[in-house]
Amino acid sequence: MDHSRSKLTWLLIAIVGALTVFPVLMLLLGSFSEGLTAFGKFTVHKYVEAYTDPVLFDVLANTTLFVLGSSLLSTVLALFLAYLNTRTDIPFKFLFKIISLIPMMIPHLLFAVSWALLLNPSNGLINLALKQALSLEDAPFNIYSIWGMILVEGLLDLPIAYLIIAPAMASFDVALEESSRVCGAGTMRTFARVTLPVLRPAILAAFILGLVRSLASFAVPSVIGMPGRVPVLATHLYEMIATGFATDYGKAAAVGMSVLAASVTLIVVYRALTAESEKFVTVSSRGFRPAVIGLGKARTPLFCAVALLSLVLIVLPVAVLLYTSLVPYSMVPSARAFSLMSWKHWSDVLGDPISLLSLKNSLFLGVVGATLGVLLSIFVAYVIVKVKTRASGLLESLSYLSFSFPGIVIGIGFMWFFVQTPLYATIWALLLGYIGTYLPYGIRPMSSAFIQIHSHLEESSLVCGASPLTTLRRIIVPLLIPGIVSGWILMASMFVRELTLSVVLSRPGTEVLAVQILRFAEDGLWGKLSALGIVMIGISTSLVIAATLVGNRFRAV
Amino acid sequence: MKKLLLALFVLCAAVQAQAQDKALLERAKAEGKASFYANITAVEPIIKAFTEDTGVKAEYTRISTSKFVATAITEFEAGKLMADVVQAPLPVLELLKEKGVLASYRSPAAAGYPDWASKDDKIQLFGIEYVGLIYNKEKVKPGDVPTRYEDLTLPKWKNQIVMANPANHATTISWLIGLKENVFKSEADWRKFLQGLAANKPMFVSSFGPTPAPVESGEKLIAISMPKYIVTKAPAPLDWARLSQPLMGTPRAIAVTSKAPHPAAARAFVDYWLSKKSMDMLAKDVGEYVLAPGVFPPIDGISKAKVIAIRELSDEEIQKWGAEFKKIFDVK
Repeated sequence: MDHSRSKLTWLLIAIVGALTVFPVLMLLLGSFSEGLTAFGKFTVHKYVEAYTDPVLFDVLANTTLFVLGSSLLSTVLALFLAYLNTRTDIPFKFLFKIISLIPMMIPHLLFAVSWALLLNPSNGLINLALKQALSLEDAPFNIYSIWGMILVEGLLDLPIAYLIIAPAMASFDVALEESSRVCGAGTMRTFARVTLPVLRPAILAAFILGLVRSLASFAVPSVIGMPGRVPVLATHLYEMIATGFATDYGKAAAVGMSVLAASVTLIVVYRALTAESEKFVTVSSRGFRPAVIGLGKARTPLFCAVALLSLVLIVLPVAVLLYTSLVPYSMVPSARAFSLMSWKHWSDVLGDPISLLSLKNSLFLGVVGATLGVLLSIFVAYVIVKVKTRASGLLESLSYLSFSFPGIVIGIGFMWFFVQTPLYATIWALLLGYIGTYLPYGIRPMSSAFIQIHSHLEESSLVCGASPLTTLRRIIVPLLIPGIVSGWILMASMFVRELTLSVVLSRPGTEVLAVQILRFAEDGLWGKLSALGIVMIGISTSLVIAATLVGNRFRAV
Repeated sequence: MKKLLLALFVLCAAVQAQAQDKALLERAKAEGKASFYANITAVEPIIKAFTEDTGVKAEYTRISTSKFVATAITEFEAGKLMADVVQAPLPVLELLKEKGVLASYRSPAAAGYPDWASKDDKIQLFGIEYVGLIYNKEKVKPGDVPTRYEDLTLPKWKNQIVMANPANHATTISWLIGLKENVFKSEADWRKFLQGLAANKPMFVSSFGPTPAPVESGEKLIAISMPKYIVTKAPAPLDWARLSQPLMGTPRAIAVTSKAPHPAAARAFVDYWLSKKSMDMLAKDVGEYVLAPGVFPPIDGISKAKVIAIRELSDEEIQKWGAEFKKIFDVK
């Protein structure tokens, strides 16, 4: 048993290593090389220059506030929504689930632009409305600030947190809460003293993934932070590579190495905090049934609160997108704007052969990439959770390597790697790059689900003569369905809107949606951009619905 | 007699050139396709027309300026540069030339271009990425429209300007230096202008692409941007300020690569690109300022504007001035 587990661990280390180590290795070489590519004369000059920059301290202070704030916001919101959706009798659950996932499906650039249209201090729609309603002289909100950045990034990372916390919440053993109530604790006390501590691995995983994601994020720092003059690491890196024409990605990679070190440290901390995984087991051989808590009188007010939250935070920006796709240019809503509405941007986009080809490619990458990615994630998560060895710790760190690197640089690492292989400029390079980079999206929901499954289940199966593979297929996987669905949704919708790798690796014939969207953004064509963005949301929504339906069919009862 | 001989010579040369063109095209057809790496936008109509007119397929890969050198050099050094033709701002092609990525080619199609547009036997300039002041014509009264760059320092423009980040946007940095060298009489006047502009607290965005949207929507009134958006964003209420001073921009350049997988198709493509037909398309459909004689974008008054190419700045200069502008404009 131990021997086969060890073999599996090393096989996975080889596979995951091949997917994630090489691009980072190339960047490491680039950071120590003179010149503009990965192979040059050795130098530490890039490190010296990057780390003696006097603005670095301010940048790091802003970055810390930004990543902690946005991660906290996304985790708390996700916890709130996941609790209401999975554990209570709040109405319209399915709709709420879709709404909490929508920010993941929107290109981040577009989501940030929508918020700028709503909350810019000059003529942001919400500001205009509030100024009029409250007779204010100045706009009450300014999106171009660190708080604006935290709000938008927090919302963008909400789906990640939700998809990690919700499955854990869904497979919660009712007995734990019932015992608490029997001992006289109320719903709130039970939630604080029993539910939250048991969910610690999932909450921490969501928080840490949020930290890593916001650290690598570029859209929000660029669209909101730059006009607000709030520099964070991503914009600092952008400045480093954008000033001049001979872009030195090696120097940016030198800074990226610190981000990587910080991320790996976070993962080690996470492993230490969840080391005694038995504490968090909720699905044992005694059977489990997640309890549904009646909200009673609080049902309607809570429903209204969530509905309002969803409306303001998510529906409104999407409505702005729809509106932008219909008006001929960026205009504040008015009778004239409505009279000028047409489907021109839509027909332009849908009649454009490159947009159609990118749609096809993105759909292929979303479905095939997510399926392969989830398959790999099941095995990796199993080893990470159930095989507590140094090798499994190594595997976990490896799975985060490309993911932790700032997006603005990792694409170049992949280009430096793939150009040495026959895969360069093919769709397979994109597929492998996507899986290698976003593996944590598959692994995290699956590991939080694995943590909750007691090893007695597995042992019973093995005692009865089933092989490890049969045990995985017949016992573990059906119990993992919520995690598998979450992982698949996260990966598929990420792959459909992936930009950082695609912008470097995509070539004629392998165009993808996000690159096409970026082209429109670079040309300032917001109407077409919004139309294609909505198509992208449509595709992702269909994938989410399909995955949820399939998941419901195969869920363990 | 002399005239007759000259006419005969010209005729012979024309016949020979035509024969050469035909031979080049035949070889290009045999090669099958030309691959084009560019940072210029919306050039698909030219790509399509090239394929229709010559029977040679063209493939267009758009690469942003910040990734251009890294991509081209990485592919070149790995022996996998797929581009037959590269197009980018002049400083980018100069860097590629230094690395040996470019081949010599003087296109006969550039015959009518200004002399300074033929940089050397490798790089051909065909346009200027011209920068001007574009404003919302529904919100700015005609009397308020700037007539000189110095007008941007007037208090009425406080919090009303949008521009690309002067600390890192290479074209904006070059443009500001262009003002110093071509417009202002002294460095003191130029610095006074910079300080006045900075005092008006312009909103910074990452590049020119996001500059027109805030002006169209009325979030801001005026942008340091490219007048070509008047064409590409029509019917947005945009117009350009007819200044008494020249407009300036970085030259746009094109070249054939030294290890082009399809060398004849590459040359045929460059010839086609520099032809009046293509330059017309570029000017009319995309609003580009091109160097083909007599071709102008359909922007009222632009044919009378003085548009000059900014001196080529080295990366060291751009970085040095970027750091200086960072202080002046208080870019955090």
